[in-house]
Amino acid sequence: MTRAHASEPFVFATAQYDSGDWDSAPMVPANVIDAVARYTSLPVAPQGVIVPLASEALYQYPLVYLTGHLPVRFTEKEASVLRRYLQRGGMLFVDDHNHDVDGAFHKTAREEITRVAGPLAPLPNTHVLYRSFFVFDNGPPTTSHEMNGWGDNLVHEHLDAVLIGGRIAVLYSSKDYSSEWSYHPDNKRFQSVDNTKFAVNLVVYALTR
Amino acid sequence: MTSLSTDMNRHHGDEARRPSDPQAEAATDAVIDAVMRVQRRLSWIIWARAVLVSIAAGLITWNVCRLALHVGWFGGEPFAAVTAIIVGCGLLIAMRLRAGTVTLERAALWVEEHGPGHFAIATWVEQWRSSLPRSPLLAAMIAKAAREPLERSNVALTHLARTQLRWPITLVVGALLLAASASRTTSTVERVVDGTGEAAAARTAARATPIGAWRVRITPPAYSGQPSVDLGDVASLRALAGSRIDVVGGGALPDRVLVRALSDTSQPPVRAALRDTAGASNTAWAATVMATSGPLDVRVWRDQFARLLLIEGVADSLPRVTLTAPPRDSVLRTATGSLPLAARLHDDLGLMRAEFEVIVSTGEGEKFTVRTERVASRALGGAREATLQGTLNLASLALGPGDMVHVRAIARDAHPAAGREAGSSETRSFRIARPSEYDSIAVEPAPPPEVDKSLLSQRMLLLLTERLDRKRPQLSKDVLRDESRKLARDQGRLRQAVGDAVFQRLTGEAGGEHSHSADDGHDHGVEAIGGKLALSGVNSQGMLEEGDDSPVIAINKPLLEAYNAMWDAGRALEQSDPHAAIPFMRIALEAIERARAASRLYLRGKPPAVILDLAKIRLAGKDTGSVNSRTARDMLPPTAAAREGRLLAAARLTLRDASAARDSLALLRLESLSDAPAFADALAALLTLYRADSAAVDLTDAFVRARRVLGGITRVPDANWSRGGPP
Repeated sequence: MTRAHASEPFVFATAQYDSGDWDSAPMVPANVIDAVARYTSLPVAPQGVIVPLASEALYQYPLVYLTGHLPVRFTEKEASVLRRYLQRGGMLFVDDHNHDVDGAFHKTAREEITRVAGPLAPLPNTHVLYRSFFVFDNGPPTTSHEMNGWGDNLVHEHLDAVLIGGRIAVLYSSKDYSSEWSYHPDNKRFQSVDNTKFAVNLVVYALTR
Repeated sequence: MTSLSTDMNRHHGDEARRPSDPQAEAATDAVIDAVMRVQRRLSWIIWARAVLVSIAAGLITWNVCRLALHVGWFGGEPFAAVTAIIVGCGLLIAMRLRAGTVTLERAALWVEEHGPGHFAIATWVEQWRSSLPRSPLLAAMIAKAAREPLERSNVALTHLARTQLRWPITLVVGALLLAASASRTTSTVERVVDGTGEAAAARTAARATPIGAWRVRITPPAYSGQPSVDLGDVASLRALAGSRIDVVGGGALPDRVLVRALSDTSQPPVRAALRDTAGASNTAWAATVMATSGPLDVRVWRDQFARLLLIEGVADSLPRVTLTAPPRDSVLRTATGSLPLAARLHDDLGLMRAEFEVIVSTGEGEKFTVRTERVASRALGGAREATLQGTLNLASLALGPGDMVHVRAIARDAHPAAGREAGSSETRSFRIARPSEYDSIAVEPAPPPEVDKSLLSQRMLLLLTERLDRKRPQLSKDVLRDESRKLARDQGRLRQAVGDAVFQRLTGEAGGEHSHSADDGHDHGVEAIGGKLALSGVNSQGMLEEGDDSPVIAINKPLLEAYNAMWDAGRALEQSDPHAAIPFMRIALEAIERARAASRLYLRGKPPAVILDLAKIRLAGKDTGSVNSRTARDMLPPTAAAREGRLLAAARLTLRDASAARDSLALLRLESLSDAPAFADALAALLTLYRADSAAVDLTDAFVRARRVLGGITRVPDANWSRGGPP
């Protein structure tokens, strides 16, 4: 395995898995990278990568993003690699593109996460994640989809997480950041408030914890 | 005084050449002798003062050097002594040079200061040193004038000695007291620096190792069947409780061997058996210690030296028994038949016997009788793993309603102790039901499956219909009608399921969200015409035309065709005409096959790849964040903090005395076994490195791991990014 060094740029990785639609939010990586470059001096690669969940290349990336609408069932190889990735210090950010607590992705993804990393538990809104760069006093920022009443018609008050050794190994979101951040970064200038700031916290947390 | 000097000079000038008078000569010699005595006493006082001051300075210097030595500023008792001597001698020489020599003239002048001699004595001393003849008259005058000053000088000398020597003597006495005090102080400092008296003793012993190497032999108890083991020169060992530990060493017989149980430090140490095994050619000794089920601290003492042997006693565990059959408790309607029994057995040393224990309790209310049966008893001959199987004949137990049967497996090992417990499994209980409670234990029959869940496939319906058609000549009209209508109902249910699939695919909604039907008023793009389905409205524009290969229609078109064919088949079956239904059923089956084989296409296109111009957007954001601050780790509990201190002390001690550090770590490991097994394991790994050539092994990582285990710090090996670093 290639050991990454702090001087190497951060590369945003999207997980590709056999089941489901892993590429349902193709614009999210560019938006996250844009936010990291816009607000921090972290070295960052200008383009994200797609890394198969069953590939040991996964170990090269400190943060991996996983999303989709359809049921998720990891293969044995995917589960094995992901389990080892999380034990070795990796961080997996899972976002339900359905934003639906009764949805197929929600049910199956949580089952798979429990099988691989352990049970998800609510992450307190006072967690250091919400202060790792920008300060979010009320926990995870609300998405417009939640407020519009789509999906499960709920505004989720917190994210869920699996902690390993006191750090977040898996962060699970029902807030549908995949839809919230899925637009071309050039259009960010039309927004009065940048809604991708929380992505900076995710990246900084993954790189410093 | 002036006149006397003038007279003396005059007499000296006039009578210098005259022969001396013996009487005058004796008088002046007495004066000279007196002055010389004063000279000697003055010199003695000066020397004594210088010597006393030098001794005091030397003592003070020695005390300071010893204190610095034990604090660690520099080392070596000889260095302290030499420094003290140099300081003392240097001061003595300096004082002597400063004081100068007490000459006879200086002594005479000092005498003159204490009486009205008018310098007659000083003049006479000068005269006496010359070779000129001395005048008798002048001698008589000198003797008379010197009498009073000489008498006064005796008193002054006593006073001078008292005043000049008083404070040097005081200084010497003070320095001696300081030396005695410093001796006690340095031993206190030594204890403080070493931490404990035991650590100092252990360090001293390890440094000198007067006990020397030994050989350790473990003889396990006979019942275990394990052979004796020679371990050589070890500092710690692991032994089964009841093992005999023989320690054989060379050299003189040690004074004592003390054994202390670390699990109960309140108990005083006890002496172990020690015997002299010296032969004709050399000296040797042997000590015997019996291992217990807890850790022991064995110290062999000779004079002030000691060597440590740590014994980790391991108790013989009870056999572990798992009952695999029967798997659960139950209630039996009748006590008939047989019950299969099975168990898995395991023991750390060896199993001797195992059996199933069956306890039958009979009775009701406050009157019970209990009897115990043994089933499938078996000798195991010392095997570590075994399985036990048997059968319990319920009829042979003569059980009645309400009786209880408790079954468990038990296994015994070879431990000979009286009252030794047997390992046992969990207990399964069976109760024979009473007639009055029969209903309460009746097993509820499974409900019939829902009709909609038991759909026959179209292929199966076709086969049944073809069979009915073949048997049609032999069947009566009523039977044919009944059988045909059964098939019609099944065909209708299957048609309904296909209809749901058609709606789901056309509208994109999940079938379970809410029910649909062709005539429910919704615009699904399909409308019911005479019981059949047809695409309607905008959706039908061109969709049913030949050559329309829209992906949606390609999937649903065969299903629509199947739906309609099923409708025709069902109608024929309702009319008791299976023969007419068969062609429609074949059409439906073929249409379903086509629908299933249709290729599935996804409509989502590939988005453009976005490559950002980082130079353009770098730090263009108006808002600024800040990297969060790290939080301090929680304080260790007092016990863990104390252990961490001992671990760090051992790490420091390793640089100076590896054997003493190893003993300290071994002791710490045994003390941690009960409440911090992970830390004890980490220390065991560390001690393994000590056993190797510790000078060539870097122990840093092992110490770091042990400290992290103690503090509950989790580090993931070979982690990337910020979580990488030391293992």
